[in-house]
Amino acid sequence: MSGSSAGPTSGPGGDAASDMTGDAGDSTDDPSGDPDGTSTVRDRLDRVEDPELARSIVELDYVDAIEVDGDRVEVRFTLPTAWCSPAFAWMMATDARDEVEALDWVREARIELCDHMHGEEITTGVNARDTFGETFPDADGGVAAVRAAIADKARVSTQREAVSELLDAGVDPEQVVALERSEVEVAGDEAHVSLDGLAVVVDAEPVADYLDRVETSGHVTEPDDTLFLTPEGDPIPAERLDVVQKRSRLASVNMGGQGAVCDALHRARHGPDGPDGSGASYVDQSGDGPSAYDGDVDEFTSTWTLGSND
Amino acid sequence: MYEMDGEEIFVIDGHVHLWDAREENIIHEGGEQFLQCFYDYHTGFTPEEEQWDIDTYRHYGADKMTEDLFGNAAADMAIFQPTYLDDFYDEGFNTTEQNAELAEEYPERFVLNGSFDPRDGEEGLRYLEHLKAEYDIPGVKLYTAEWRGESKGWRLDSDEAFEFLEKCADLGIENINAHKGPTIRPLNRDAFDVKDIDDAASSFPELNFIVNHVGLPRLDDFCWIAAQEPNVYGGLAVASAMSTNRPRKFGEIMGELLYWLGEDRVLFGSDYALWNPDWLVEQVLNAELTDEQRDEYGVELDVDTMKKVMGENAAELYDIDIEEKKRQFRDDEVTERFDLESHYGGDAGAAAD
Repeated sequence: MSGSSAGPTSGPGGDAASDMTGDAGDSTDDPSGDPDGTSTVRDRLDRVEDPELARSIVELDYVDAIEVDGDRVEVRFTLPTAWCSPAFAWMMATDARDEVEALDWVREARIELCDHMHGEEITTGVNARDTFGETFPDADGGVAAVRAAIADKARVSTQREAVSELLDAGVDPEQVVALERSEVEVAGDEAHVSLDGLAVVVDAEPVADYLDRVETSGHVTEPDDTLFLTPEGDPIPAERLDVVQKRSRLASVNMGGQGAVCDALHRARHGPDGPDGSGASYVDQSGDGPSAYDGDVDEFTSTWTLGSND
Repeated sequence: MYEMDGEEIFVIDGHVHLWDAREENIIHEGGEQFLQCFYDYHTGFTPEEEQWDIDTYRHYGADKMTEDLFGNAAADMAIFQPTYLDDFYDEGFNTTEQNAELAEEYPERFVLNGSFDPRDGEEGLRYLEHLKAEYDIPGVKLYTAEWRGESKGWRLDSDEAFEFLEKCADLGIENINAHKGPTIRPLNRDAFDVKDIDDAASSFPELNFIVNHVGLPRLDDFCWIAAQEPNVYGGLAVASAMSTNRPRKFGEIMGELLYWLGEDRVLFGSDYALWNPDWLVEQVLNAELTDEQRDEYGVELDVDTMKKVMGENAAELYDIDIEEKKRQFRDDEVTERFDLESHYGGDAGAAAD
């Protein structure tokens, strides 16, 4: 069972189409029908998102290789730029590790972040199960705070479509802003909205997407929590619903814009053929010992190999 | 200048650099990484036939820059936005002094901004005074996310920064250009947000705050702040390059900017030499919104909007009299060098004097 690199995508979301819900289906943990297990791993990795873009790292084509050796799995991935935030890179690496290890036949997952200014530290730290703080002792603000900020953006950006779905179905703005969590229920392809005893049925997808995000961000946890909120997290006065919708649109445009930047950088680095194309690897991590992260530098420095040369 | 629907569009490129990333100027590996990252941005958003080789990109020199900007009259004027990066580059990446080499050769064509860093304290204030005295700088370019020593950046709403903004106001340095664009390490909260612009802008209504790269990837926070602060502007560097290969994204971003800020507060910039106005200006002028985007945002990239975005808004901020400039450019050095007399209507103009 020698390692094999990830084959062509068989699932959805293999191209750049703006299918934001590249749901890979509920992949089973059973590797049967997938002799070497790489497809199962790939499906599982589809749950890992680039936090900045709220899109799957599989869909974004960051995964370079998946190697399965019995109950051990190795995943190599590359980000669009060597400068991608270490905090974001860390999140993706740990999420990838945890998702793959959630497969019941996997005993250990090893993750390698390639061509990144902190690739070596992140790879070492993630595989040693260190914390972010242990890996980057001088970083102020932990990963949790960044995750929370990101989750909040995802909440705001998905609200618009859910609200539009309800408005289009004839629900009044006053009713929309008053909705509580318990009054909306997703059942299969439909979402049921209870309004004073009446039920309105709408397409489940935008509603389910939003529920997922608003629960992850921690804004809606109880049955009587108000469902739709301003970006600041407050209930929405009905007459402000329109401007809140526009702010939600703006949040999605921001994410999409950043996605375009990341994608262009990804192609610039690797060409359409991936990291083994003719482009040089700009970050030489092979060398000069571990790099300290001593903060003795400005934003673009990171002392990864400080003074290694002359 | 360009013609669009029979009207002349005077182009002021709001964001240019004359940088030096030759190996002999690089004193830290970060300098090389920085340049390589820029180069990825360059190739990522430049049509293939317009891409430069890496050596040219390291150091193109004043002569090539003049030709790229003005040779085919892509731009009529340009605004220097220095980036110091002293820790990486022996002589700096593009300091005020380096940019001045070209700005002083063609003073009628360039605006030269300076810079400050509040962590320099008293010495920094003296340097700012020096820049004003030496170059009469009308603005500064700031990099709040720059790390130094123990510091991981600074905020525009800090007491120290306010002291420098106060000094700018005293000296008549009105245009505060803040880099709030792609950052590398959003580990600390500051690097993640544009909110410090809010407090600074409301505390110094007499200054203009131009947020470069329109805050990407914080376009949402930026637009929301700008919608409430009338002296906050959006600089299109990076965003304008997205018209290469991503016209739809570019349309969306323009739609948002025009919706939240309006057409008077958005300024074109190429970020030369990241991208070259030689081809970028035309590409942006040809950009169109989709029908859907027109409906969604209720705005147009029509000739009136483009005249403002491409030149008039910058002219307003930097007290540039466009009509006067057009007369001046009938026979200035740049026009003579590139035979642009007919472009600026030299013959017809003589009678008007």
